[in-house]
Amino acid sequence: MVSPRAVAAEVLVVGGGMAGTIAALAAREAGARVVLVRRAPGATALSSGAVGVAPDPFALPGEPLRAARGPLEAARRLARLRPDHPYAVLGDRLEALPDALAFATRALAPLLAPPLERPRFLATSFGTAVPAALCQRSQAAGDLLAVGGALVVAGLAGHLGLDAALVAASLERYRARGGPPTFAVEVDAGLGELGLLRPHELARRLEQPGAAEALGAAIRAALPAGAGAVLVAPVLGLRPEAQVPERVAGAAGIAVAELLADVPSMPGVRLQAALEAALAAAGVEVVQGAIQGATGPGAPIAAGATEITAARWVLATGRFVGGGIARRGTLREPALGLPVQAAEGREAGVDLAARPAASLTGAARVGPQPLLSAGLRVDARLRPLDARGRPAAEGLHAAGAVVGGHEHASDGTGLGVAILTGYLAGRAAARPGGGE
Amino acid sequence: MATRAGALSYLAWRALVAHPLRRLFRRRGTGLERFRAAYVAEGLGPTTPEDRAVGEAASACVACGLCELGCELAGAVPAVRALGLHAAFRLYSRSAAGLPLAAAALEACAGCAGCDALCPTGVPIARIVRHLRAKALAGRDPPVREG
Repeated sequence: MVSPRAVAAEVLVVGGGMAGTIAALAAREAGARVVLVRRAPGATALSSGAVGVAPDPFALPGEPLRAARGPLEAARRLARLRPDHPYAVLGDRLEALPDALAFATRALAPLLAPPLERPRFLATSFGTAVPAALCQRSQAAGDLLAVGGALVVAGLAGHLGLDAALVAASLERYRARGGPPTFAVEVDAGLGELGLLRPHELARRLEQPGAAEALGAAIRAALPAGAGAVLVAPVLGLRPEAQVPERVAGAAGIAVAELLADVPSMPGVRLQAALEAALAAAGVEVVQGAIQGATGPGAPIAAGATEITAARWVLATGRFVGGGIARRGTLREPALGLPVQAAEGREAGVDLAARPAASLTGAARVGPQPLLSAGLRVDARLRPLDARGRPAAEGLHAAGAVVGGHEHASDGTGLGVAILTGYLAGRAAARPGGGE
Repeated sequence: MATRAGALSYLAWRALVAHPLRRLFRRRGTGLERFRAAYVAEGLGPTTPEDRAVGEAASACVACGLCELGCELAGAVPAVRALGLHAAFRLYSRSAAGLPLAAAALEACAGCAGCDALCPTGVPIARIVRHLRAKALAGRDPPVREG
């Protein structure tokens, strides 16, 4: 039996996705000694790689894209409509959103593009456009409002992962709202048999010397007159230091951007890697392993062969993918056994297996889905609440998707909530006593 | 009419005497043996406790494909590599009879266990692949030789 290595810290962050990383960085910036425990990449690595903060719930379907509100105003409007949403639960602290976004942009500066006042409208591989408050540098030129001229969707000849004609035809719909005219072209970059390459294999192949330049030259040869920017499949490299987007754009002589990705998402993998690099740069100790025997802040907790003791914890364990909320008969929070709420304030602590599935999911596609927004109930300081509505433990905060009330994977606020709650929880945990 | 009467009496003999007697004295084996004879050839063998444990562990897979980043499948032909190892999960979870379709991918696994640390939901991928691989290769027919 190997005796565990004992580590003492002021703040322990459980979870290494967007929320956990931002919390650890914020606590570190506030001067605390921070340890972060992570098991594996989570839902952040499965994201499109861009950061949606809040779709404006009052925006009309035909409204010009240019009329879009900034993230804070859109989040305020969302909070007014949805009292269970973390943006509403946070109350006045929602006003820290611009600071939190600026903090995240600074922490991830090599990867993320500087934000604008308004959201960028970025195209997905299905030909829809979604508002993103933050995006990667490789995605920024695809902003439908920033394209000067026509937008060209370039498919790779033989690559089965992207239907450029479908994307271009679908993006034409946004023309009436101020989007650019859109065309599809097919380019043959001479990269060999692409049809059966998995996304990460294609990304790695483009990192090789000459490959990105060949793709850029092929794009240049295929460009129609009046082109303002080119959209390509989200496979422009895995390591930002390989500078694949820059090399492709340089050889193409035009701005080149990636589409937003479906899973497995290479931009999502890059985002996760950037979070890990930021943790290393900030001096946060990262412990790999699943946590065991957690009883609460102040008591030692085991993760792999390490035993960590910290007076204040930030729980950023994610939702169903990350394992922060588990469905085992009932919805449970496995780390500390905290009560879980489903949407609309309804307790989910009944036997789900004995209930018709329809009771936690709605038939309406756009309506609320209690199952998908299940998570911890928190107060305005992000302290998880027990069954009687009081803070469950001294020095305990929660951040990200483990906090209930938002459908983090589908309502367009997932990473925005992760950044805001991570920022607030990390700062609160760094202060002695956890108070303000 | 003689032909008809003859035919009916033959049928009566078969139905009332010969068939019941044969059923009575035929050696049919146990229910398990009969089940195996009928279904194992189609890949639908009985579920062992180990199968069940593996199935439960694999049920946490959300088919996100993140494990693919740590999986080279270098020995596989492109068509198999494109399917990826998690094709085995998808095929097997739909029906045990689909497992032979993933045999080529399972066979190409180098056993490096690079996948385990990449799984967001904590599926013990390497252990499951080892089990499925043994199952797929054991149940496979010997290769058909042509010419």
